[in-house]
Amino acid sequence: MECSFGLTGKDFVLLAADTSAGRSIIQMKDDENKIKALGPHIAMAYGGEAGDTNNFADFVDRNLRLYQIRNHTPLLPAAASAWIRRSLAESLRSRHPYSVNLMLAGFDITDSTSHLYWIDYLGTKAIVPYAAHGLGQYLALSTMDKWWTEGVDKREGIEILKKCVDEVGKRSTLKFKFNCILIDASGIHHINLDSSDPIAEMEQAGKAAEVINPNPPLDVGITA
Amino acid sequence: MAAPGGGGAYSFSLTTFSPSGKLVQIEHALAAVAGGTTSLGIKATNGIVLATEKKASSLLLDTSVLEKVAPICPNIGFVYSGMGPDFRILVAKARKIAQAYWKVYGEYPPTKVLVQEVAGVMQKATQSGGVRPYGISLLIAGWDSHRGQSLYQVDPSGSYWAWKASAIGKNMVNGKTFLEKRYNDDLSLEDAIHTALLTLKEGFEGEMTENTIEIGIVTVPTAEQLQEKPGERLPPTFRKLTESEVKDYLSL
Amino acid sequence: MEYNGGSVVAMIGKDCVAIASDLRLGQQSVGVAMNFEKVFPVNDKLYYGLPGLATDVYTLREQLRFRVNMYRMKEEREITPKTFTHLLSSTLYEKRFGPYFLEPVVAGLTTPTELEPKPKPFISTMDTIGCITTPKDFAVAGTAQDKLYGMAEGLWEPDLEPEDLFETISQTLLNAVDRDALSGWGAIVHVITHDKVITRQLRSRMD
Repeated sequence: MECSFGLTGKDFVLLAADTSAGRSIIQMKDDENKIKALGPHIAMAYGGEAGDTNNFADFVDRNLRLYQIRNHTPLLPAAASAWIRRSLAESLRSRHPYSVNLMLAGFDITDSTSHLYWIDYLGTKAIVPYAAHGLGQYLALSTMDKWWTEGVDKREGIEILKKCVDEVGKRSTLKFKFNCILIDASGIHHINLDSSDPIAEMEQAGKAAEVINPNPPLDVGITA
Repeated sequence: MAAPGGGGAYSFSLTTFSPSGKLVQIEHALAAVAGGTTSLGIKATNGIVLATEKKASSLLLDTSVLEKVAPICPNIGFVYSGMGPDFRILVAKARKIAQAYWKVYGEYPPTKVLVQEVAGVMQKATQSGGVRPYGISLLIAGWDSHRGQSLYQVDPSGSYWAWKASAIGKNMVNGKTFLEKRYNDDLSLEDAIHTALLTLKEGFEGEMTENTIEIGIVTVPTAEQLQEKPGERLPPTFRKLTESEVKDYLSL
Repeated sequence: MEYNGGSVVAMIGKDCVAIASDLRLGQQSVGVAMNFEKVFPVNDKLYYGLPGLATDVYTLREQLRFRVNMYRMKEEREITPKTFTHLLSSTLYEKRFGPYFLEPVVAGLTTPTELEPKPKPFISTMDTIGCITTPKDFAVAGTAQDKLYGMAEGLWEPDLEPEDLFETISQTLLNAVDRDALSGWGAIVHVITHDKVITRQLRSRMD
């Protein structure tokens, strides 16, 4: 059983995914990272059939990287979401479809907007202010419905996310640990949800909280 | 590198640029056209006429089976000068293209679209491996709701032009000069048919009869004719004139 | 069809047509988004709606955008509603043995020409493999199809002016989707006339 959340705010996006890995009733791991940074301002949380998940995430990652190398600019969130959706939709009608659900979060630095895309293994894409996959859908969507408002700030966003995590902790018989990131104009940052003030901790940590961008820009003989 | 159809590294295109920038094969193809019997087309205010001379090499030939003017779909027809066998291949391809278009859009292609497709087929033969260019020029006449009646010429290179009137084949230079003198912008279809016969008569060897020429016409439909009636097809806008119709025009 | 939910309706008026959809995107009983439009423009006189499986909504829409753009460039003209219906139908039939799970609805006006000075407003609908129906009154599709039929049958009348047609199609859609658990969550209506398209978002029950 899996669980992930995404939430947009005025100048940021949050992603949280549980860290369990196992099969049916057996848990084999409690520190599996199911969030992948795909560029300087874009990341996705993914889940689904074991094996498919990491393979598809790597496929996406390497292709976005290739785009960046070819074009000297990263794929913006809207275009990345269209490409990922199409990959899944084509996969769906192939002989071996990927069964991967994901949430794509990104911050578009060209117009300073936050983006969140809810995408399932069929290639269904929803452009949403907040969303959940897995158990989170049944347990925490209503929490988000109640507390989320247009233009929430970072602290309010974290509070809502914490409420969701608490709700899952309270109403589910499964115990989850969560991995969380925040994307804003300055990049992707780790968030410690257990902290009393995760934003202050993130700001204090500075560089140390940054998620290492797996796809740093290449300067191949191009000068502005 | 193998081209479709095989042949491997040796299946070079037969049309290769000469150092001066010419494609000699295409010029030879044009020579084949210039050696062919004369064909012409004239656009009128209310239609188009295509006409060609149909020469039999022997008295014993049954000319009623020869077909030089060919309907492609209900709104478009072809006539050619050059090599008969090449023409039949292109007619078959064009008919297939028209039907494929009908299958997708539920209507027949506009003249320009079919011309572009056929010109594409002819161009391909100037660039592909193991083939030679088509040895014919085409005159294509058709009517569609978007552009009305239009007359095109397509050459072996795949070039095409829209004409008010044109002639191809043996007497094309004389024919064009004659048409330039006779053409005006408010020609009716009846006038155009007579002008076509007069042009054909210039340099016609032997007697011009309903057996030695062929005529196809495009007519502009009326609004009433375009009304769809359940269980009925729209009347065609391109048709060939019957031998008796040709005879009537010749006797006038 | 029932996986994501959603409904589309189109109606003929006097020299105008209207087409409308709800805005819900669900995953079975769970509502995921309330901004999922199912009606798209081809040009300013022609719209079409794609209720059904949401992944196919995107895929077919992208496919059609490609084909219509190619048509526009090749033919140097806008596609007519009738021709577009055939294009859509043959696009669906290409996937005869692994169909898109969509039941499209088309609504549009044909530009008058000298030879066809008074073209009739046009709507059409088809099944998942492209079998065309061209009704003279209204076309409905989606998870609220049966309810839409009931409402449209009761409210529609011939020769409605654009504003009256807007009211008729809006009431038909809203009252039908309120009785359908898988449709609703807001609606959008387009009324196409010869000189403009009126697009309005409707507020509806959000439960």
